[in-house]
Amino acid sequence: MASSGSAVESGAPVSLKDLRPPSPLFADGASLRVLGKLQEYSVETTVAIIVDRDASLKIDTQHLRDLSFRVGSIYQFIGELRIQPDNEALLQARVGRNVDGLDLDLYHQSLQLVRQFQVERTRYRST
Amino acid sequence: MDKSLFLVHVKLLAFDLLSLAQSPTNPPTFSLDHRFSISRAEALGVVVSREHKPGRFLKFAVDDGTGCVPCVLWLNHATSPYFARQRPQGVRQIAEVANGQASLVKLGSVARVRGRITSYRGEVQITVSRVVVERDPNAEVLHWLDCLKLARRVYGKPTTMRNTLHGLCPMDKMT
Repeated sequence: MASSGSAVESGAPVSLKDLRPPSPLFADGASLRVLGKLQEYSVETTVAIIVDRDASLKIDTQHLRDLSFRVGSIYQFIGELRIQPDNEALLQARVGRNVDGLDLDLYHQSLQLVRQFQVERTRYRST
Repeated sequence: MDKSLFLVHVKLLAFDLLSLAQSPTNPPTFSLDHRFSISRAEALGVVVSREHKPGRFLKFAVDDGTGCVPCVLWLNHATSPYFARQRPQGVRQIAEVANGQASLVKLGSVARVRGRITSYRGEVQITVSRVVVERDPNAEVLHWLDCLKLARRVYGKPTTMRNTLHGLCPMDKMT
């Protein structure tokens, strides 16, 4: 029931299309939040593949409980990126949830506004 | 220091909440941009950690994409000297509500949290008075937009202008 109560890294929201070199978020151990439509899920390996337009990402879901996987549904995962020896990325998910019904356009537009706001606030605080 | 927001549950994104200025007093007080003295906050995000000690507390963290907000929901109503001075029936009811809320907070769920801003080992946290689990998948996005709108149109304005604008802001959805 219980899990770690110690400080955990926030998962930086990133679009799958931006998750490739030379993005600073494409780094082993980076804590990320990703979103996409479930394309495949293997019960044997617990690896899921999500897609967003023409980009895709493998998700290791072995630590997730109480989450059912339905191909074609939209899922959000937070976890750490692992870069495999062949330079392929895999997200080791800490948490995941089904977000069917999420307005994806609103999500991506709002995310841009949040990032812009963070830059403004950081600049304001440093003056 | 402007105290007009002192009793308001100020909606803040995690990165703003976690960088509130703390006074060196005991208990510490908190200020937003060294302009507004604030004591309460509302945060919303995905529950990414959970530590439950039945009869003592539930510690959890919500991640809104800009940071992780540590939260503590006290469940020590049976042993706390504070509650020992109150009517047992009332304390039982408060404990039932708190335990009910604690059971809703699960890893991966989206929680809207209200409470007092406190400090634990120098880090800002929320001592929770109310937590609800959001079912709407758009709740987090709408919270982001609420925070941005309030920061620009309300929290950054002088008191007189803020009083005029306050009626436009959905601050009391939970009450």
